[in-house]
Amino acid sequence: MGSAIGAQYVFTTEEDRIAYSDHYSADETSHQPLGAVAPATVEEVQAIIRIANEHKVPLWTISRGKNFGYGGSAPVVKGSIVLDLSRMKKIEVDAENGTVLVEPGVSFFDLFDFIQEHKLPLWLSVPGNSWGSVAGNALDRGVGYTTYGDHAARICGLEVVLPDGDLVRTGMGAMSGSPNWQLYKPGYGPSWDTMFCQSNFGVVTKLGLWLMPEPESVLGFDIDVDKPEDLGWLIDTLAPLRRQGIIQQSPSIGNWLRAAATLTLRDEWVEPGKPLTESVITAIRKKFNIGWWGVAVRWYGPLEINEATSRVVEKAFAGKPVMAMRPTRWVKGDAPEGSPATGVPVTYPLANANWFGGRGGHVSYSPVLPVNGALALDQYRRTSALYAEYGMDYHPSFAIGERHMTNVNQLLFNRDDPDMMKRVDSFMRALVKDATAKRYAEYRTHIDYMDLIADTFDFNNHALRRLNERVKDALDPNGILSPGKSGIWPANRREKRS
Amino acid sequence: MTLFQARNARLALFAAAAMLGLSACGGAGTGNAPSPAGGKQQANAGANAMQDRSYKSDAEKLFVEKCAMCHRDFGMGTVVLARRVEKGQEWLEKRTDLQADFVKTAARAGIGNMPRITRSDVSDAQLDAIAAYLEKAGRK
Ligand SMILES: Cc1cc2nc3c(=O)[nH]c(=O)nc-3n(C[C@H](O)[C@H](O)[C@H](O)COP(=O)(O)OP(=O)(O)OC[C@H]3O[C@@H](n4cnc5c(N)ncnc54)[C@H](O)[C@@H]3O)c2cc1C
Repeated sequence: MGSAIGAQYVFTTEEDRIAYSDHYSADETSHQPLGAVAPATVEEVQAIIRIANEHKVPLWTISRGKNFGYGGSAPVVKGSIVLDLSRMKKIEVDAENGTVLVEPGVSFFDLFDFIQEHKLPLWLSVPGNSWGSVAGNALDRGVGYTTYGDHAARICGLEVVLPDGDLVRTGMGAMSGSPNWQLYKPGYGPSWDTMFCQSNFGVVTKLGLWLMPEPESVLGFDIDVDKPEDLGWLIDTLAPLRRQGIIQQSPSIGNWLRAAATLTLRDEWVEPGKPLTESVITAIRKKFNIGWWGVAVRWYGPLEINEATSRVVEKAFAGKPVMAMRPTRWVKGDAPEGSPATGVPVTYPLANANWFGGRGGHVSYSPVLPVNGALALDQYRRTSALYAEYGMDYHPSFAIGERHMTNVNQLLFNRDDPDMMKRVDSFMRALVKDATAKRYAEYRTHIDYMDLIADTFDFNNHALRRLNERVKDALDPNGILSPGKSGIWPANRREKRS
Repeated sequence: MTLFQARNARLALFAAAAMLGLSACGGAGTGNAPSPAGGKQQANAGANAMQDRSYKSDAEKLFVEKCAMCHRDFGMGTVVLARRVEKGQEWLEKRTDLQADFVKTAARAGIGNMPRITRSDVSDAQLDAIAAYLEKAGRK
């Protein structure tokens, strides 16, 4: 590979192998790659793919590999070579149409800096960990907090190297020189963009994305409620507003710990190993003045419209037992609002790995539910009981979409506590079993659990898996691209399925 | 309130209200009032919480591009270090005790909650420049 891309971009020392392992993991060797290669151009990607096919070695594609909670940059199959695209950093913005074409190495901070430097009237939508890649995050169906927060839904046109080295452009990009590549998603005939999300069918080398034109104003409310049971009516109050499009971002309701885990250390409140009692929780909440649950809701656009929306939402909450409901307001000309609500990238939430004081981390358990208060309450009760049973601190959120809710739970752990680390795997499996009994599946998962989750999609004896694997075998006969991603295994490795 | 506490309060506001969907530090709860928001308009919590991404030299530019997201204002590293080091020293660029070799080892081996930085993300030559910048930055 050295001759294809330059020896200095082939990383095979022990230090490199460890650097590409999952640093949020109890056993970093379990998914350790053989090394990594970092091409800078699409031609170099193609050359690497050709060599991988010759030698039948598995590659694992990452854009920036900051997929913490889901495996970082580590592959499913130990000994794979990480195909690290972080050196590919081109940005092409179409300011008039509000679109960008990014290469995979472009981080949220890179794109933010570019937009600031060129004073473009465009806003990003960023995830809570914005260290990662704009493309990688969208391809893994990541989420942000503005109206553009469903990142995969804002993809418009891809450039992809297929597992045999062929290069395709999707949508209108299939016509060379088309001015509409980033403007019209479907293209002609079947559209393929979503086929490359959470998949191992190709290496995306360019990704088109729509960006929000800077709005005249952002108004909203920060809402806190006092009791765990308030989750039900809170969701039922927000749901119709969201479904009708009055609220167009996905409000994410988090519990007190989601905030507290970044603000304080557990040991300051309770002895290590002891559970967080209701009185401890109350004391923490009091100190930081946070609800048991809290949510930020925001609307974006002309001030006249937003002020009317505020009145409509306030009316919907009239008579509801809120603990606090604070209006928020940013109007063009004000100082930057400076948070992910206005597309400003952050890394601060990563501090929650320090909750136990030492080296920490988490895996995410993220089932999808219908938007319904009673179902959410039931989910809260069952999940929090399992957290208690396994001696873990309950850290949930419920993000409300137009028709579904994503219940992202972090299994926060302390890597310096071997006893706790031993419980994590059986805890995760218990949670998945519990969700599966309700016929809920996850929207995204960690590399350790990709088969476990794929197994839950069981209609007609796993017909979806058969379809995925027929496509995989047709495109990737040598099984070189990210084997095991989303539980999709190539023919030559199917016995590896866990 | 010391500057440090003020900053932490700002962090609290930011983390809780803006980022994580929780609100904090307002205290304007209105209970069962018919107008739940109480009509009182406040500035958005987390205002001005944006990071300073400016630079004056090539080395500082590299630091901003590769490290500032965690090691300037509101970065994960700054926040976590504030719990461990003397006041003011949580900003790497203000540290008076940083040796270039230590910076390089920390980046490559990881330290505490900081993951290891790959050579693709930051090349050896870039890391040399950043380490030299940090060794001097706080001692000016
Ligand atoms: C505290 C905390 C908060 C977080 N908050 C959020 C959040 O709010 N929203 C959110 O979405 N995530 C969140 N995350 C999860 C994660 O850190 C982010 O999603 C991050 O953006 C993923 O890393 P990345 O962008 O570098 O993607 P990568 O790691 O580069 O990519 C992710 C996956 O996508 C696939 N992929 C990537 N690039 C390509 C390509 N070019 N071609 C084909 N397939 C590809 C690969 O399977 C890869 O494993 C959070 C994590 C933590 C620890």
